[in-house]
Amino acid sequence: MDIGGEYLVPASREIVWEMLNDPEVLAQCIPGCEELEATAEDEFTAKVVLKIGPVKAKFSGVVTLSDKVHPESYRLSGEGKGGIAGFAKGGANIRLEESGSDTKLTYEVDVQVGGKIAQLGSRLIASTSKKLASKFFITFCEVAQTRVSA
Amino acid sequence: MYETKYHKAGSLDNATSLMGSADDGKYLGGGMTLIPTMKQRLAAPSDLVDLGGIADLQGISTDGSTLTIGAGVTHAEVAGSSDVQGAIPALAALASHIGDPHVRNCGTLGGSIANNDPAADYPAAVLALGATIKTNSREITAGDFFNGMFETSLSDDEIIVSVSFPIPEKAGYAKFPNPASRYAMAGVFAASTSDGPRVAVTGAGQDGVYREDAMEAALSADWSPAAASGVDVSADDLMSDIHGTSDYRANLVKVMAGRAVEAAG
Repeated sequence: MDIGGEYLVPASREIVWEMLNDPEVLAQCIPGCEELEATAEDEFTAKVVLKIGPVKAKFSGVVTLSDKVHPESYRLSGEGKGGIAGFAKGGANIRLEESGSDTKLTYEVDVQVGGKIAQLGSRLIASTSKKLASKFFITFCEVAQTRVSA
Repeated sequence: MYETKYHKAGSLDNATSLMGSADDGKYLGGGMTLIPTMKQRLAAPSDLVDLGGIADLQGISTDGSTLTIGAGVTHAEVAGSSDVQGAIPALAALASHIGDPHVRNCGTLGGSIANNDPAADYPAAVLALGATIKTNSREITAGDFFNGMFETSLSDDEIIVSVSFPIPEKAGYAKFPNPASRYAMAGVFAASTSDGPRVAVTGAGQDGVYREDAMEAALSADWSPAAASGVDVSADDLMSDIHGTSDYRANLVKVMAGRAVEAAG
């Protein structure tokens, strides 16, 4: 399933690019992220708690940054196992374009979910993924706002 | 299911204090969503605080302009209540078609709206009728209560005590149930109230229950099934899944709206 969208981030492209490569910012923006630690260049281990309605599952996995074209685009991907709950993997291709003093961020997200969480939530995975993606980018815009005004 | 500690609360104060001392506790209503989720090991609260024994959450009463239903009242009790059938027959009909007999005899009004499943039936009635949700600490209007899919303005330790429905002039509910789960693929509750027509849609919206403003406008000019089903419904913000595309749901919303108005008379 593919989901896309765009946001106008109130910061210059260089700042947005820096933020997209800053593990602290990513940890703040990934919904439910409890831990994000760099293990290598552009590779992190992550612990994420997914809470949707009655479901509360803890995923541990790896987040990687790839296909980097400074300061225009990259791919943020993640793969996690939630024990008996199942697994989730997916990524976002993110593109940045200058738009006056702001930056237009375009994203395409692809998600795959398997195991029990997929069976139980099959009717909700598309809406949930959209919601999580928009949470990520809304927080991202807020962080950008505070960085610029700081 | 993982190990959990079960507590049966005797009163609202008892329930909140049990919750306060729990590590990662959850209130248990009828358990029709939480228990299957726990059995699947998709949730593992350390403590369950059962609200089923609290007398304050029981009972159905009417004072002429308002129908008040306790949060712990089951769907079967709502469906079979002569007070509900007399005051808001559409609400009794709605309750009689939730899930299956097992769900209707265990599931509760409070549990249903606190969970705010985007395909549950009750949120449509609560929003369309402009009900007021009373909790152990405050009163919340329906418009402020539902905050998108599975989210409400309840805090983690807050308990719904009762829901008060202003009695409408007339109202109707129609849903297209998923044949397996009986969850609404699209469900429309239409009410003619003292504030004019109000229409709420469940099952179809990506962010859960919502009001269909264009239909309310059309119905205020002409209260008829054709007026409701003639409104253009955009598929943009509707759910798309293996059971149906957003375009399909957009059409279902129109058809169900027509049927809801017809049922209201």
